[in-house]
Amino acid sequence: MPKILLIEDNEMNRDMLSRRLAKRGYAVTVAVDGEQGLALVGSTAPDLILMDMSLPLMDGWAATRLLKAAPATAQIPIIALTAHAMDSDREKALTAGCDDFDTKPVELERLLGKIDALLKKHPPQV
Amino acid sequence: MFIMLICGVTLSLAFVGLYYYDVQQFNTEVQQRLEKTRVVLVKNLVTLLAEKPNATELPLNLLGSDTQITAAAVYSAEGKLLASYIRPNTTEIFPLPQRGSGLLTNESSVVWTTLRDGNRTLGKLYLKAELTQADMERFSNLLRGFIIVFLAAALLAVAVTYRLQRHITQPITELAQVSARVQREGNYGIRVQTVASGEVGSLIAAFNAMLENIQTNTGRLEEARIAAVQTREKIYQANEQLAEANRTLEKRVEDRTRLLAKAGQDAAEASQAKTMFLAKMSHELRTPLNAILGYGEILKEDASDEGKTQTIADLDKILNGARHLLGLINDVLDISKIEAGKMEIYLETFELQKIITDVAATVTPLVAKKGNQLFIECPTDIGGMHTDATKLRQILLNLLSNSSKFTEAGQITLKITRLSGPVDDLIQFAILDTGIGMTPEQIARLFTAFTQADASTANRYGGTGLGLAISKQFAQIMKGDITVESAPGVGTTFTLSLPANIQLKPSAIMNHTGQSLTRSPFAGQLSQKKILIIDDDREVRKILSELLGLSGYATSEAASGQSGLTLAAQLKPDLILLDIMMPQMDGWTVLKKLQSAPELAAIPVIVLSALSDTDLALSLGAVSVLRKPADAARLTTEIAAQLNPLARCYVLQVDDDADAREIVARMLEREGWQYYAAVNGHAALRLLKKDLPVAILLDLKMAGMNGFELLDLLRKNPAWAAIPVVIISALDITQEMGDYLVPRTLAILKKGNFTNDQLRHLLRPAIQACALAQN
Repeated sequence: MPKILLIEDNEMNRDMLSRRLAKRGYAVTVAVDGEQGLALVGSTAPDLILMDMSLPLMDGWAATRLLKAAPATAQIPIIALTAHAMDSDREKALTAGCDDFDTKPVELERLLGKIDALLKKHPPQV
Repeated sequence: MFIMLICGVTLSLAFVGLYYYDVQQFNTEVQQRLEKTRVVLVKNLVTLLAEKPNATELPLNLLGSDTQITAAAVYSAEGKLLASYIRPNTTEIFPLPQRGSGLLTNESSVVWTTLRDGNRTLGKLYLKAELTQADMERFSNLLRGFIIVFLAAALLAVAVTYRLQRHITQPITELAQVSARVQREGNYGIRVQTVASGEVGSLIAAFNAMLENIQTNTGRLEEARIAAVQTREKIYQANEQLAEANRTLEKRVEDRTRLLAKAGQDAAEASQAKTMFLAKMSHELRTPLNAILGYGEILKEDASDEGKTQTIADLDKILNGARHLLGLINDVLDISKIEAGKMEIYLETFELQKIITDVAATVTPLVAKKGNQLFIECPTDIGGMHTDATKLRQILLNLLSNSSKFTEAGQITLKITRLSGPVDDLIQFAILDTGIGMTPEQIARLFTAFTQADASTANRYGGTGLGLAISKQFAQIMKGDITVESAPGVGTTFTLSLPANIQLKPSAIMNHTGQSLTRSPFAGQLSQKKILIIDDDREVRKILSELLGLSGYATSEAASGQSGLTLAAQLKPDLILLDIMMPQMDGWTVLKKLQSAPELAAIPVIVLSALSDTDLALSLGAVSVLRKPADAARLTTEIAAQLNPLARCYVLQVDDDADAREIVARMLEREGWQYYAAVNGHAALRLLKKDLPVAILLDLKMAGMNGFELLDLLRKNPAWAAIPVVIISALDITQEMGDYLVPRTLAILKKGNFTNDQLRHLLRPAIQACALAQN
């Protein structure tokens, strides 16, 4: 079962997404902010990270940069999630190093498609 | 008085003369008489003595008849008295013989005559004569007469003088007195009172007239003087008022400027507030809906798993409502953004086919629901576009869903055509439906926000009435438009026309003003200078490459910041032209990275951007900033200057105020002098390390390192300490500041208070010396 780390500060969003993903057969771990997220990456070694961009304390871009900078975590695909509809945010996310980008409200099918695509590119480490 | 004196003297002289003459006449007469007697006597005596020398019998007594003879004596040749005669009652002492004659004195005259007979001296005759009584009388008469006449004449003279004085002297004297008085008192009202006739009268009249004239003129002069003094007073007052008005004006200008600044700030803040509000609203409004939609979906999935069909149907209703609400919120936010002028356009290149496929897939359920058929007519070679894909998608979805809304069991066709044009291609998206159509009145109101075809339409067909308005706005933002044709009962055709490529036109990249380009100073040499162009816009790169190629440079291109850095490290170009607005890595980041890499930091970077943040560029290490559209000649000149540091005698401007720099920059440009700007001490040091300027124009108050600190640092380095520094500051220079600055600087100028000439005068020697040194 592929492991997904969901870093999202909004409780409802966290709840909804994790439940729906779990239903689709993913092992979901959740973190409420960037710091916790980084810690959990170390401990759970997820196969994919869903990163909310607007996190408290450390924002999503910073967390992404840190993850991509560290060789141990650099190859974990990250999908940025953001409520901002502006396309410049997409560029910003990609600049920070995210592998893909999705907007909230999440269209599950669309997101699942992106997750699948990335997991194909970076197969889970067994 | 004078006249009298003259008269008197003249008269006296005349009389004396006359008297003298008369006396002479008298004398002569007497002499003649005497002579006569003497001659006769002499003759007689000679005859007698010739016969008988020393005869004593001489007829001297005959002399008695002549009353004037008082004594006579004859002497022999030896001097012996021979004979004598004395007039009775007269005493006489006969002198010894001697020569000479005599003069008639008061009473007597003596004549000696030598008695000669041929050669023989017989003796001497002594004759003494006196004036006779008659003579004496005559003499007295004469004298008396003269005296009388003299007195008469004198009296006459006095009378005449007196007369004269009254008519001539007195008026003239008065003239003189009046003159003196006038001069002494300065009073030109005095006049000569005397009336006279003749020439003197004319003189007096003329004199008075002159005084009159002078008085009048003096009067007028005095008036003029008073008027002048008054005018001067008025001018002084006017000056005071002007100065006061000036002060007031300055204060008012200050106040106004402050108000304007505040207004500007307020406007900026308001604009910022609007943006933040829109962003916040966007977030605030969507979050609850996300919850509804999200959990709704979960419940639906759970219900589906459990086969609860009714629950699924109910949940669908909830979800549809929520989705509809979300659509409304999105529309409202869009229109708000557009009207706040905050709607941005985001350009990207994409394949049209993909968008069309996506859109078609999205609308298919909607279309099918109304029993409509969807046809897509899109040529396979339709190609791509460079525009805002998201907005295009939104417009197409809006138009298609509209068509579907107002069509039942009909056909909806999406037809895409590419039309080539002179400058660019046009893509036409035609959405045709066989729906209810619209009347001309309905068409007229179509794109207005918040209106629908009519009130009932909203009820029946739903919608916010914003969709078309937003679509039209979007189309226009993308430099295109939406047009509509419709016939009631037949159908409607919406046509969206968009330029295939929205990008800066070549003229907006470069201005060719007809001036000649500055060729590379190294063209033709073995080592051609390499320029790296970093810009995400292909057109810009193409044009710049051509331009620089024509000017004799070898060029390389990079389409992004990252590739630019890589290329810079590989090629080590001589100069980099850098754009700022680039996706992924913007120009600021590139600048920072270039500066932090030691082998790349020395490469001069010219920022070529539509942005105007010159200060930021300079402080990040760019050597120069040119605004797009750039003047071709200016760009090539700038490049040539940057590549030719040895020919650079440049003035370093250190000032964080762009306006102040601009004012001085214009003067420097007019003189044809090179200059580079630094926004604070740090930036200045960076430039100094690369190349020494001939002079530094230094502001004092700057963020980062201020003027004083920089001055200190300059003094510590002998090469830098020699550079003349001119302070240009708005600060009031205190005594302490002056004491510190004056020995360390060439001059201290106050902003807004110096002339271009002054600055030119200060800088010219240094620049000329440098120019000479180059040759």
